[in-house]
Amino acid sequence: MRSAVVLGLVACVGLLLQSTLFHEISIGGAVPDVLLVLCVYLGLNQHSVGGAAGAFLLGYLQDAASGSPTGLNACGMLVVFVIVYLTCRRLWVDNVVSKVVLVFLASFVKTTVVVVLLALLVPQRGELSSIPAYLITQAFLSAAVAPAVFWLLANTGIQANRETE
Amino acid sequence: MDFLRRNRVLVSSLSLLLVSILLLSISVRSRPYRDPLAEVVFEVFSPLGGAVRWIQEGVADVWYGYVYLIGARRENEELRARVTELEAAMVRLAELEQSNKRLADLLRFRSQLRGQVLGARVVGRDPLPWFGSFVIDLGRADGVRSGLAVLAPGGVVGRVTEVGRRSSRVMLLTDNDSGIDAVVQRSRARGIVQGARDGGCRMNYLRRDVDVVPGDVVVTSGLDGIFPKGLLIGTIADISLENRGLLRSARVEPGVRLDDLEEVLVAGATVELREREPAPGGPAQVEDLAPGEDES
Repeated sequence: MRSAVVLGLVACVGLLLQSTLFHEISIGGAVPDVLLVLCVYLGLNQHSVGGAAGAFLLGYLQDAASGSPTGLNACGMLVVFVIVYLTCRRLWVDNVVSKVVLVFLASFVKTTVVVVLLALLVPQRGELSSIPAYLITQAFLSAAVAPAVFWLLANTGIQANRETE
Repeated sequence: MDFLRRNRVLVSSLSLLLVSILLLSISVRSRPYRDPLAEVVFEVFSPLGGAVRWIQEGVADVWYGYVYLIGARRENEELRARVTELEAAMVRLAELEQSNKRLADLLRFRSQLRGQVLGARVVGRDPLPWFGSFVIDLGRADGVRSGLAVLAPGGVVGRVTEVGRRSSRVMLLTDNDSGIDAVVQRSRARGIVQGARDGGCRMNYLRRDVDVVPGDVVVTSGLDGIFPKGLLIGTIADISLENRGLLRSARVEPGVRLDDLEEVLVAGATVELREREPAPGGPAQVEDLAPGEDES
């Protein structure tokens, strides 16, 4: 319960920062995705139904706070959660560098999922030629804030809930 | 059942993914409709976003109002230092310009004199007001000796009274002990120009019957063996009426601004004014000595 509250608070603060302060330092419209970092954290440490629900809620929160159709970011977050969950069951992802790389790749995945879904469901939206630059910038910015978010979560005393094969 | 238990994370994730896609398809189809929960989240986050924006703007205000001002202050200090430098340079330039003008006048004046003339700088003034004297930077080693005439572009300044090795004291024509044989240029009336108690000078021993009026120019007669003939001393300011004897005196306004002198010429008794054609209406010598006039 405590973990859920802490994660919820961090998610709310992250979302607020994403929608306000981070826009001041945005590069080409891309801002650091704190919620994505949280999703990666869940994929790495919360191997439970609660983890999956948390990923869904993070995406849902992002959809609700932004103008995107409900479920768009939720899909992206769940895909990221599943991939990270499957990855960390087979690869040792425990140091900061590997986590940062994972966030970088996860950002690619999430943005790609969102873009694909948008292209399928709302084809008239968005300029596709600007997506690669946005995708890379977004991934770099998210990876840049990842160490700070991981450090914060590591110091809040959240218990990991990992499966062992 | 065991499969579901072992893969509950994946199963629940996929289930939620399906829910998401369902929500997404509904949301896309029914836009701009939003589900009530999303609206609640939106309603909660909007004011919070406003609060963060308010804090952010406050921080920005502090930053630009204070931290940025530190830079402005530094820049201000640099600019002030630069202004001070430029002002000092301007003062130096103005000083050089004035010095240049004075020296040019002095040189022009020097060219009107024949004989050995030395240029000297005034390096000190008498601290007591009742002794009209100053110190120049030439002395015995430079060929200066007591009794030499001291001149400036405006005319007579005084004479050397004390001579040191590298400096000399000059008694001004306004000193009480000073006396210069002089003539009124227009009427050729003779007299002695002496220092007065009021810091100016007077032309004494003027005969009562001679023609002297205020504005008359007084020049050196050359008879005292110190000052060359024809040098400007000053102009008659007023004539004393109290003296009812054979002689009378007149107040003379010196031709040289003695308080402002910075450079002077030291001339020997053998120095003479170069002869020039007299200008219509009076002798030429005095006009020759007027500062700023080119020698033709």
